[in-house]
Amino acid sequence: MIWSRLYLIYGIGVVLLLGAGAYKGWSFTSVNEVKNVPRSIRDNPGSYRAIYSSYHHYTGGK
Amino acid sequence: MSQPAALCPSCRAPIVFRWSSSVQTTCSHCKSILIRTDVNLERVGVVSDLPPDSSPIQIGTSGTYENRAFTVAGRIIYDYDEGSWNEWHIVLNTASSAVGSAWLSDAQSQYAVTLAVRAAPLPALAAVQLGDRFTWSKTEFVVTAITEARYRGVEGELPFQYWDKQEATFVDLRSTGGDFATLDYSDAEPLLYLGKMVDFDALRLKNLRAFEGWS
Amino acid sequence: MSAAPPNPGGTPPSEPQVQTLACPSCGAPLTVRSMGRAVTIVCGHCHSVLDAKDQLSVLERFAAATSKDTPLIPLGSRGKWRGAVYEAIGFQVRSMEADGIVYSWREYLLFSPYKGYRYLTEYNGHWNDCSVVTALPEAQGTSAKYLGKTYKHFQTCTARTTFALGEFPWQVKVDDAIRVTDYVAPPYVLSSETTGSETTWTLGEYVHGADIWKAFGLPGAAPKPVGVYENQPSGLRDSASRIWIAFLGLATALFVIFTLNQIFSQQERVFQEYYRFSASGTEASFVTPEFELKGRTSSVEVRTDADLSNQWIYLNYALIDEDTGQAYDFGREVSYYTGVDSDGRWTEGSRHDSAVLPSIPPGRYYLRIEPESDANLGLLGYTVTVTRDVPVTEIYLLAFAALLLPALLFSWRSHNFEQMRWAESDQPKSIGGGGDE
Repeated sequence: MIWSRLYLIYGIGVVLLLGAGAYKGWSFTSVNEVKNVPRSIRDNPGSYRAIYSSYHHYTGGK
Repeated sequence: MSQPAALCPSCRAPIVFRWSSSVQTTCSHCKSILIRTDVNLERVGVVSDLPPDSSPIQIGTSGTYENRAFTVAGRIIYDYDEGSWNEWHIVLNTASSAVGSAWLSDAQSQYAVTLAVRAAPLPALAAVQLGDRFTWSKTEFVVTAITEARYRGVEGELPFQYWDKQEATFVDLRSTGGDFATLDYSDAEPLLYLGKMVDFDALRLKNLRAFEGWS
Repeated sequence: MSAAPPNPGGTPPSEPQVQTLACPSCGAPLTVRSMGRAVTIVCGHCHSVLDAKDQLSVLERFAAATSKDTPLIPLGSRGKWRGAVYEAIGFQVRSMEADGIVYSWREYLLFSPYKGYRYLTEYNGHWNDCSVVTALPEAQGTSAKYLGKTYKHFQTCTARTTFALGEFPWQVKVDDAIRVTDYVAPPYVLSSETTGSETTWTLGEYVHGADIWKAFGLPGAAPKPVGVYENQPSGLRDSASRIWIAFLGLATALFVIFTLNQIFSQQERVFQEYYRFSASGTEASFVTPEFELKGRTSSVEVRTDADLSNQWIYLNYALIDEDTGQAYDFGREVSYYTGVDSDGRWTEGSRHDSAVLPSIPPGRYYLRIEPESDANLGLLGYTVTVTRDVPVTEIYLLAFAALLLPALLFSWRSHNFEQMRWAESDQPKSIGGGGDE
């Protein structure tokens, strides 16, 4: 008896969480957030690399 | 409901009938068996010593069966190979006094209430075996026991004359729904009683015998 | 009601509560508790079986060696059970044999002068409260019906009384063999016992030892149950079906949200442009013109379509909010290879890639793009498309799995319990579930 109640509460939680996610546009793509990008990047896009702290270089393959 | 007191022809003790249609009773003092005639009480015999009683029911116990109140007025005691049992004569309160008399069977702490029913034809004893099926009152009954009993004694008020019988064979039948029936072969003609198995608590019995050491 | 007084002195006196008699075989005192209803009494000292209806004449005797079992509920114990006071007056050990192994269980006869008899059985710490039934059960091969309920056949065996103590309202015989059949509908068990042509049916209800210990005030604790007993209530089964019903409701809610999401996603394209890239020494990074993400915080899809043929291109993307300076940095690879071999044409990879960024707030944005590729592949052309408020399917799959897994786990546990139960029966139900181990 108690198990089914717990499951229901858990399931409602899952559905509500999903609803919030659908509304807010959650996804699984991993994105790195970088803050305070200066407007000067528009003029000099190459300088973005300096401010991107955990810059990683593509090494080939997936 | 009770008649004016009469006196025992043997010992002059007062005899009171709880039920107007009682035909026979016993005198609690001298144990005489008394028959009620139009005129007076006639002594026909005496009850021999009864076995010590282990039933919680006694004469004067009251209870309820199918929403009808009843009082225990008398009993017949039988012996069989595993001991003895009581057939308590109970008087049901009914609006009309049409069917007042019924039987509360008390055997090995299994209780059943049955009423005499006219049904024909009833099988002869020789024709009955365990497992046989009969239908009465739209219910199918199966023979569950054939008991050879010996009359042991009587006590209190009975609706017919009954004493000093010898052997009496009873055939018990049950249904899947908890109904109970008995074929009584004490007399030449078999008698049928139909009723139900009842739970002790459902009877809501009051004025039960007190057992020493048990509350 | 009636005016007459209760019968004074007329009704025979009741038996005294407890009678003490002497065993005719060994002289030990016998305590008789059931007021003249006993048919057989077993002496606690010499284990002689005495006929209570025939002045305690000795019928037979139990071997002393079988008396190792002491009743856990001592004879004479009283307790309030199911609304009435009962006294334990008899104790029996019965055994059955299966596959060369002897299994024994114990029975305790309880007596109340008002309610009569019932008995408690115990096996491996599992207790049952049994009484003789009043209505007639119908046995139909692998099942039996009683008062509208169906019971499944569990086991048929021959039970022998190997030991007894106390008094009984029936004839007790040493090694008396009785055919016993059990039908179960947890927590109940319907049991039939046949000797000769007579069959007695009893209904048992599974009870916890702790309740018995409490009712009878017994010292210590009840023995711990081992394994799963035939009519032991699962507790899981009902929960399992309830959980699946909840699952259906929740999965439906999930589907509804999914559908609404599909319908109401605006999928608004805010930017699209075609670019060419050539891997050379010069600075590859560049920025796109501005575009606006309107409306609420939502998902944003950045789609890359590249005309590739046995090539790859890697794009370092950054979606930058012009006003707040917040950047969302990610990298995507697009590669496509094709060829012909002995099985025909094969392809690997795709010319398209879609990245859905989560919860991007509204604002004015641009993309900073830095492509990479192998040198000397010439010009690679690709289109970048930005769309806001797209539905994301993966979150639904995850939510569905989150709902499904506990339900499956629970069903598995319940199934496991039932397998353990039926493993002991005459008909094992599971694949690989053997006989009675």
